[in-house]
Amino acid sequence: MTPPKGDPFEALGDPNRRAIVERLSAGPTSVGALAEALPISRPAVSRHLRLLKEAGLVVEEPEGTRRVYRLHEDGVAAVQEYLTRVWGDAIARFTLTAENVQPKSAKTPTR
Amino acid sequence: MTEALRVSQELRCSPDHAFDVWTTRLSTWWPKGHSASGDPDTVVTLEPRRGGRIFERTSDGREIDWGEVTVWDPPRRLAYTWHIAWDVAQATDVELTFVDLGDGRTRLDVVHTGWDRFGEESDRFRTANSGGWGALLPAFAAAAEG
Repeated sequence: MTPPKGDPFEALGDPNRRAIVERLSAGPTSVGALAEALPISRPAVSRHLRLLKEAGLVVEEPEGTRRVYRLHEDGVAAVQEYLTRVWGDAIARFTLTAENVQPKSAKTPTR
Repeated sequence: MTEALRVSQELRCSPDHAFDVWTTRLSTWWPKGHSASGDPDTVVTLEPRRGGRIFERTSDGREIDWGEVTVWDPPRRLAYTWHIAWDVAQATDVELTFVDLGDGRTRLDVVHTGWDRFGEESDRFRTANSGGWGALLPAFAAAAEG
């Protein structure tokens, strides 16, 4: 398989593109249906889809008279990789929480 | 063997508090949508004992296991297996050490291993994890110090 020219991680770095991938994980969808489901315009959806396609995450195919987009099988592995990136966000949020919430018990530290 | 992924983060709180936030308040800070289900209202739980489950319960009541606690040694050490959205047969190992730096500061050391379970994909998976950590650490530091 030729490696995709786009970076799947960069492609998934955008919340709208993650939302598109989430939608597509439920099944093949047209540009129009995606644009209706998301708070962005149809041209914007097309732009995001092109990037996702270049990153090897989605493929475009004809279905009757229209064209639909679906997740690429190899793209699913890339989505798993994205899930492994949770650690980055997790540590950030953990740090903020740990530093900004009070300890549960008010007892003096024994140190 | 694919190299362990190591990340550290300094925290302005005690190890006891850091350990408590990591384990008992997981659901309050775990990033929304970072789950096997993708359900934004999913609740994440870590059972506080060796052999305890780490799992999410989705808003429709479905439970999905993410891992299992293998070392429970509060407030210094915590380890668990981790497979979240992938096959349990390819569970990786996460070990957290909370180092007391004194003066109300703690260093959290994370060592994430087990990438070889992905076979030929191991480097790819590890790199993905590394990218995630590396890109975000400067942002937390800024947020934490700001």
